Amino acid sequence: MKKTLLFALTLLLLSVGIFSCQKDPGTDTPEPGAGPDRKALLTYWADSLVKPGYQRFNTKLTTLKAKTTAFTAAPTAATLLEARQAWASAYVEWQKVELYEFGPAEQVSLRNRFNIYPADVAGINRNISAGTYDFELSTAIPQQGFPALDYLLNGIATSDAAIAQQYATSAAHRRYLTDVVAKMEQTFGTVYSQWNGSYRDTFVGNTGTDASSSLSRVVNAYSLYFERFLRAGKIGIPAGTMSGTPLPEKMEAYYHRGALPLQLATTAHATVQAFFNGRAGQPSLKSYLDALGAKDSRTGQGLAGLINTQFGVSFQQLSSLGPDLHATFTSRNPDAVASYNEMQKAVRLLKVDMTSALSVTVTYVDNDGD
Amino acid sequence: MQIARLQRYLHAYTPAAPLATFRMAFGLLVLASVVRFWAKGWIAELYLQPRFFFSYYGFEWVRPLGVYTYGLFAFCGLCALLMAVGYWYRTAALGVFLSFTYIELMDKSTYLNHYYFVSLAALLLALLPAGRYFALDTHLNPARWRSEVPRWTVDALRLLMGIVYVYAGLAKLNSDWLLEAMPLRIWLPAKNDLPLIGPLLGQVWVAYAFSWFGAFYDLTVPFFLLNRRTRPWAYATVVVFHVLTAVLFPIGMFPYVMMVAALVFFPADWHERVLQRVRGLLPFSPTAPLLSAPLRYGPARRQLLLLTLGVFFVVQLVLPFRYLLYPHELFWTEEGYRFSWRVMLMEKMGYVQFKVVDGATGRIRQVDNRAHLSVLQEKMMSTQPDMLVQFAHYLRDYYAGQGVTNPQVYADAYVSLNGRLGKSFIDPTVDLARVEDDLRPKPWILPFDDEITGL
Repeated sequence: MKKTLLFALTLLLLSVGIFSCQKDPGTDTPEPGAGPDRKALLTYWADSLVKPGYQRFNTKLTTLKAKTTAFTAAPTAATLLEARQAWASAYVEWQKVELYEFGPAEQVSLRNRFNIYPADVAGINRNISAGTYDFELSTAIPQQGFPALDYLLNGIATSDAAIAQQYATSAAHRRYLTDVVAKMEQTFGTVYSQWNGSYRDTFVGNTGTDASSSLSRVVNAYSLYFERFLRAGKIGIPAGTMSGTPLPEKMEAYYHRGALPLQLATTAHATVQAFFNGRAGQPSLKSYLDALGAKDSRTGQGLAGLINTQFGVSFQQLSSLGPDLHATFTSRNPDAVASYNEMQKAVRLLKVDMTSALSVTVTYVDNDGD
Repeated sequence: MQIARLQRYLHAYTPAAPLATFRMAFGLLVLASVVRFWAKGWIAELYLQPRFFFSYYGFEWVRPLGVYTYGLFAFCGLCALLMAVGYWYRTAALGVFLSFTYIELMDKSTYLNHYYFVSLAALLLALLPAGRYFALDTHLNPARWRSEVPRWTVDALRLLMGIVYVYAGLAKLNSDWLLEAMPLRIWLPAKNDLPLIGPLLGQVWVAYAFSWFGAFYDLTVPFFLLNRRTRPWAYATVVVFHVLTAVLFPIGMFPYVMMVAALVFFPADWHERVLQRVRGLLPFSPTAPLLSAPLRYGPARRQLLLLTLGVFFVVQLVLPFRYLLYPHELFWTEEGYRFSWRVMLMEKMGYVQFKVVDGATGRIRQVDNRAHLSVLQEKMMSTQPDMLVQFAHYLRDYYAGQGVTNPQVYADAYVSLNGRLGKSFIDPTVDLARVEDDLRPKPWILPFDDEITGL
């Protein structure tokens, strides 16, 4: 047995030796044809997309805090308008980072704290009158974040003057508004500081493709975001594709309405597309798929091209739902359903074709090849 | 002439040592598998948390036992240990076979070819006299000790190994594997961050080399293992091949099971030397008289055993070809795919959206699969038609319980196979609630629109 094992070991070492000799020692860059470079991709995502994105969002969040503080200090229609503008501007910026629900954001369920709608108006009003609330509870998820602010700044009364009046007369309202913003700032702060701290290196260093790898987490978070929170959340559910009847009251920024809801949706869609393509010459999912040579083997068409074409069609259809998305859901809902269907085609390309081509695993459990 | 040779073969004897080492190694591996499964928390994740389980056709009564499932695993591990030490050997081997098979039948989403192999090997061990030599049983009751066994008892294990390899090799003789280097062409670049060999894995020619070598290896290695002169080389490639697969793919214990099981091809004196070494480690010395004592079966027992093994192997040889009874592409429909040693052949991924329609009001509900299924179950179901029907039936009953009248269940399924762009998998207009789940061809699977030639 000893001899055989020794023999096998020698052969193994020999083969490994032969393999390793093919690589030029002293260079760290992979040779051409060696396939995609995941480390470079993760580095680009961390340093050029996630961290700068969070930084820009942090600025907007700081402004939001300043403007809501100014409003609660002196509630007038004018300060309300400024707070609302800061809210809308931060909400748009949020669409550019919501898809990064992996690592620290996933750990604190950032999306749950920031953008689960429709807002639970009854719960919010209960909280205001009770004066005590715990934002960590799962029932409190739709009582905080941007949707709660949507109600608090736009829907609490019928006119701006009446809203300002409400805050002027009720300390409980002022306190709740302040607490919602403070909670957002606090939750985001932990995520932001982890990315600026040690998590960045953890993320970049985890270059595998198993279920715990950075690529697997990003790809899963990315396609899940597009499927559930963009396709279903922003369009599908209010358009009634899930239930059969349109439910416009379930849309994002329902109390503000106007052009903002569609702006949020198109910003999110553009972000998804930009994340896929990256910047020219920089690593991205697109360049990764191209490096893999991923194509439809029936027709020979490149997969990245097919995905981009579908993104284009889907974005076009989504953009046509303006100017007032709420009006679209109520008066010409079939257009919204059509937009949903185009996004659905993109979801399949991402969740099936792209994920398969990238060969990232979704579970830790053993499998012997589907 | 042939008959006479066969008679001579059937009456030939061989030392019992290979059966004893196989029994011990196999028992310990099964024990290790159980411990590993438990330690990873998979018992709870796979058998306690899901609300629904995908049973096998004809085995719908096999279900997880709630919290007692832990007891089932403990029982299986205990039997494996008893089998390894050869205490109450036959009962223990039967216990391993029954409990392990029960575990595997609880949910087909955990189907793995090597689990099937473990079940088959345990069944063989329950039939074979592997507890008559170097076993606690014979230590306690020396009268049962036998140093030699009929040659065919050892060869039965070799034949099973041979079938596993050769059939796995035959399954690779198809155009995707040989001409497109699929799915290795997808899987290997995903491992290009491995030390040393990583940079090579991104190269297309490497995927081709692995594919062709893999097919050649599977088809020939049992024969090289049988031959005295090629055996050391062949075993070395067994080790290299399986170590490589263990590094590259998430296939759990499979490489180790095969590496250890392939030792059964080594001659008796090699096994005897291994046992001698084990003897040196034991505080007591298991009886090893110098006299040779062959195990002679009574004629009726012998006939029955040979007949049983004959049936077993005929089934083994025929079962993998049952796919020929189905009209369409095997990889696409997966009709007759399991229990056929088709290992690592497909990169198949799917996405399925179920829709439940109220038969009275027409109201539509979209189903969130994850509210009912684990990640693994959803992944496995989305590419396998029989599982899609099973889940549809579960949804029908679930929504009927929720007050939906005559629920109709439709599935919009999209599947990609070995790098082909995904396409619609099943007919979205067929009410799966009314479709029978049986072994007949499923006419509602949409055409594959491509061809994979080969076996």
